[in-house]
Amino acid sequence: MEETIFKRWSRELTIAGAIVLFLLPLIGIPGKTYITLTIAGLAMGMLLFLVASGVSIIFGLMDVLNFAHGALFAWGAYVGFTVFGYLMKWVEADSVLQNFAAFSLAIVAAMVVVALVGIVLERVIVRRVYGSHLFQILITFGATIVLVELIRVFWGPNDEVMTVPLTFSRNWDIMDVIINRYRVICIVVGLVVYGVIQLILKKTKLGMIVRAGVEDRDMVQAMGHNIFLLFTGVFAAGAALAALGGLAMSIFSLQVYPDMGGSFLLFAFIVVIIGGLGSITGSLVGALIVGLTYNYVAYLVPWAAAGANIMIMIIILLIRPTGLFSVGK
Amino acid sequence: MAEATPVQIFHMEEKRRQYRSGGFFLKVGLLALFVLVPFLFPSFKTVDLAMQIIMFATLVASFDILLGYTGILSFGHGMFFGIGAYCVAFLVGKYGTPSYANLALGFVIAALVASVLAIVISFLSLRVKAIFFAMITLAIAELAIVLATKLSGFTGGEDGISLNMPGILAVSFSAGNFLGLEITGRILTYYFILLACLGLFLAMLRFTHSPLGRVLQAIRDNVERAEALGYKTFIFQAISITFGCVVAALVGGLYGMWVGYVNPESCLGVLSIMLAILLMCIIGGMGTLYGGIVGAAFFMITETFLPDLQHLAKDFFPSAVFLHNVLERWHLVLGVLFILVVIFFPKGIIGSVREFIDRRK
Repeated sequence: MEETIFKRWSRELTIAGAIVLFLLPLIGIPGKTYITLTIAGLAMGMLLFLVASGVSIIFGLMDVLNFAHGALFAWGAYVGFTVFGYLMKWVEADSVLQNFAAFSLAIVAAMVVVALVGIVLERVIVRRVYGSHLFQILITFGATIVLVELIRVFWGPNDEVMTVPLTFSRNWDIMDVIINRYRVICIVVGLVVYGVIQLILKKTKLGMIVRAGVEDRDMVQAMGHNIFLLFTGVFAAGAALAALGGLAMSIFSLQVYPDMGGSFLLFAFIVVIIGGLGSITGSLVGALIVGLTYNYVAYLVPWAAAGANIMIMIIILLIRPTGLFSVGK
Repeated sequence: MAEATPVQIFHMEEKRRQYRSGGFFLKVGLLALFVLVPFLFPSFKTVDLAMQIIMFATLVASFDILLGYTGILSFGHGMFFGIGAYCVAFLVGKYGTPSYANLALGFVIAALVASVLAIVISFLSLRVKAIFFAMITLAIAELAIVLATKLSGFTGGEDGISLNMPGILAVSFSAGNFLGLEITGRILTYYFILLACLGLFLAMLRFTHSPLGRVLQAIRDNVERAEALGYKTFIFQAISITFGCVVAALVGGLYGMWVGYVNPESCLGVLSIMLAILLMCIIGGMGTLYGGIVGAAFFMITETFLPDLQHLAKDFFPSAVFLHNVLERWHLVLGVLFILVVIFFPKGIIGSVREFIDRRK
């Protein structure tokens, strides 16, 4: 009997379990702080989702583990930094409209530039090593070295301070709970990106081909679609998402530095291992888990923050080795 | 006598040629060179350079057991190296007095910790896919750095730990002159480490040339086939990973002995140690063990003499701005070189040279 109950209610049980787990920190954290931390965690989770979704979909479709994603992330941050430099007046203006204009322009510029870098990367380097995981990792790792060094050449080797658009940095005060506006913006951006990706994947023909490619690459090719063009496109899209994540993150943490991609790539890997490689929803869930846990644990036991996520990853690997939402392969 | 199998014939051929081939003399010559370095070039810089080359060659060879012989990429090799260094440092630096027993105990503990950790990581990641190993080791290596930095009460934090060597290995020890060279504790440490590295290298050669090593290569080339032949691939991969990681930890302990100081940045750093190992292994040539020597020598020599090269370029070619910039951004050049080697010479320097010689025959 027990088994059937678990089977019938498995979905609800999982959700209930997750909710209980995330209310658990309430024992140690006062309510208002909990809400602030939750919003910070959700914002961080959304930023992680932007990076992890790219890693995940590139792996799902192309079977390529892209270690250069962290460098693309840093490139996005630096391109945004440059745009902010040119639009300093708009960034520092006390007007929501001008701030948003500068923010959107920076996003567009970062995504376009990094997508181009991604196309070059895929065409010149990654294409040569399809099929061999080992060489993919090696070559994308080499690309990371080169891309990070290029950042040092173009923008200089030092840390730079990232300016936050003035109106973004203010707080809302709702019933004595302090909510930072920029965090809410991050959450909205993340949700919009998730919605757009899902729409493209589920409702358009292109998305159908991509999903089919994740299931069975050879068959898509046999049906007459140019899978290599698709690969380049998906790689560029993943790079653009990484750039968006990098820009958003650099505003979040108020700084840009050449090696910033490394630690984030690591978080992205933890996210995709938890969520399951190749699944967008998995990336979202994994990213939120990682973001929330990081913030709660960082508040309760500061030194254990980095370890907590790795512990979660290990536990999930033990229970479900292929991640929470695993795709076919 | 029954007909010999192809493998047996190959072995017999190999044995007959072993002590006569040019390669053998090259290896002996190289060893002799390393033995004579303190006498030929007694300056601190060259002895230190030779020592670094020896230790990194052994470390890269142990990495090669994972990468070249098992086909598994680990980003945690630098971490195992650091664990070894820290274990020895704890025993003779922070928590114990410098004595031979403590030193030996440090190495034993290093090997134990490394083997347990390697087995745990293998069990976690290899169940799914070999590429998970790369991601998980990267995550755990980063965690190790964070822990070593944050738990400063236990590990000494960013400041690190200083090591003191016991008895004849101590810096202050002196045994008089020999052939015009003062035999100090440093020189004795040099020979001790040289001997230890030689032993580890021979052990690794034995490991890769054993039947076990052959199975590993079969798994690397075709996992499904090895599985179909009845080998439990998981067990073999776990054994190989554990062996490689234990060697790395031991080399880490030796490194701690030589440098006399460990801190998170110099011993655990993914970007410092791990990157160097990977570059040395790929450029030298993976799947050969000897590639490590070439890679380490190339890397260490350029790293040591790079400032000199930069000055030289500025003195002799003051107008060649491009050359200055190239030398200025040395890592960029290394990165490009790395990519080119992976694309065009996936066997590295040693592999390409061997191929060239084979083709000429």
